[in-house]
Amino acid sequence: MCSTFTTTTAEGVTGMRSFGSYVLPIAVALFYLFLYLPIFVLILFSFNDNAFTCGWSSFTTHWYYELFASTEMWLALKNSLIIAVSSVVLSLAIGSSFIFFGSRESVRRLLILFYGSLAMPEIVLAVGLLSLFSFFAVPLGATTLIAGHTLLGLGYVIPILHGRFIELDQSLIEASYDLGATQRQTFFSIVLPLLMPALIASGLLVFIISLDDFIISFFCAGASVQTLPLYIFAVIRTGASPMINALSTIMLIFSSFFVLLFSFLHIRKTGIPQ
Amino acid sequence: MKIKENINNFITENASFIFSVPAVLWQLLFLYVPFFLVVYTSVKKISAVAGFDITFDYYQAILSSPYFYIIARSLIIALGVTVLCLICAYPVAYFLALKVNRRWKNGLLFLLTLPFWTNFLIQIYSWVFVLDYNGLINMLLLKLGIIQEPLHMINNTGAIFLVMLYYYLPFMIMPLYSILEKIQHDLIEASMDLGATHWQTLRRITIPLSMSGVKTGVLLVFVPAFGEFVIPAVIGGAHHMFVGSLISHYFLVARDNQLGAAFTIVSGLVLLVCVLLFNWLCAVPLQQLQQKE
Repeated sequence: MCSTFTTTTAEGVTGMRSFGSYVLPIAVALFYLFLYLPIFVLILFSFNDNAFTCGWSSFTTHWYYELFASTEMWLALKNSLIIAVSSVVLSLAIGSSFIFFGSRESVRRLLILFYGSLAMPEIVLAVGLLSLFSFFAVPLGATTLIAGHTLLGLGYVIPILHGRFIELDQSLIEASYDLGATQRQTFFSIVLPLLMPALIASGLLVFIISLDDFIISFFCAGASVQTLPLYIFAVIRTGASPMINALSTIMLIFSSFFVLLFSFLHIRKTGIPQ
Repeated sequence: MKIKENINNFITENASFIFSVPAVLWQLLFLYVPFFLVVYTSVKKISAVAGFDITFDYYQAILSSPYFYIIARSLIIALGVTVLCLICAYPVAYFLALKVNRRWKNGLLFLLTLPFWTNFLIQIYSWVFVLDYNGLINMLLLKLGIIQEPLHMINNTGAIFLVMLYYYLPFMIMPLYSILEKIQHDLIEASMDLGATHWQTLRRITIPLSMSGVKTGVLLVFVPAFGEFVIPAVIGGAHHMFVGSLISHYFLVARDNQLGAAFTIVSGLVLLVCVLLFNWLCAVPLQQLQQKE
């Protein structure tokens, strides 16, 4: 089993060979055990017929039924989806038009502005946003969350799209102008289709970040809007129910689907036949 | 004709330039303006009748209070988590990038990225089931007869540390993996051909070449770990104050925005100094290397 792990390239000294082929795979296996042990326990307890974490009693799917019957959860999910989709659309629209319509020089110079949100802890962003909204007396709610999540999203969308855009064959854009297309036509019919893999990948990333975001939501949601992470946090805080485990299991299935989709897009993007 | 075309191009280009403005405006309005507002809140004298008076009372309150001790503790814990993450992550990233064969690689990478995409509250909360009074570890140890009484493993700094390590490990592995994967096998083979042992190759070739990945990974772990607030809240009960917990306490519970703003800025500055120091430390060996050559 261990010999299947080692590649044939970097092998030679026998003393190191035993290290590379036995110790390292075992360490990696332990790491994966560490990574997945809590998740397995979590899934296991979602089928536990016992309201508390007091050991295993018997198998049940009761918590799944209770979860689907919970109106609060569905409302939180709906809010989260609305906020996530709006943030994705906004950050992609703003981001791609910045990349294309800004002059090359100014885009390159302004790029550093967009790393600011990645360089500080999210709680600092949240405090800043809360100060801004309370200073101008903006009522907290879904709109303030969309503003915050779009800010987070731009930090990922703009570097990814810019990286892809400068890799594009510029003669395609020039050809479009030469053939009489306006800048707007070029943007919609040439640049956006060429950027599509990067747009989908970064959109997916923003979607997940928004759906997963807790800190900004915790500060800027106010009392009127509850997102899915806020709902989960509230349930955990006030004596958790195995309903949360059931929800986690379902979300885990969805996120594995997303990871597969993401890696599939990545392969499609890079695996162009030569 | 050419000139006229150029002028036309210039006009359309500058007219459409406005489409690139929203992104910059968004960033300024929601990131940089708030930053100045926080600074403003932290120095504004609240009793002033009219206009704007500067006061440093809030900073004094922060510096003279035991709250400064919280910054120091967060710093030590974040540093510990970062170092331990690096030690645990490097072998895994090394294995995934250079040792494992293609058949296993994609599966292992998939398993590595999956928790990344999972809701992080759930990831953290799953540890409750492992560490709890009636959790997995206590259950197993009791069944095996190693202990008679359940161990108390949750609601302490050790548990917070463990869960932080768990949560941040993938953030360290990813940049290390992507940089190690780009290292050319020729360089490693050349080193071996020239008689270096595996250890020498690792120390002289692989590790120096992966330094930029180490740098990214350290920043990706250290910066959020310093401001951590959710993990202590879920795992540690209410007794373990961290920088993040205290900030949220000031703003959301105590509603003391002035003190909160001053505390945010002081801890932000501490973080900035740490990051700059780290950058400087990374640059020193590089310069020495260049001087040697």
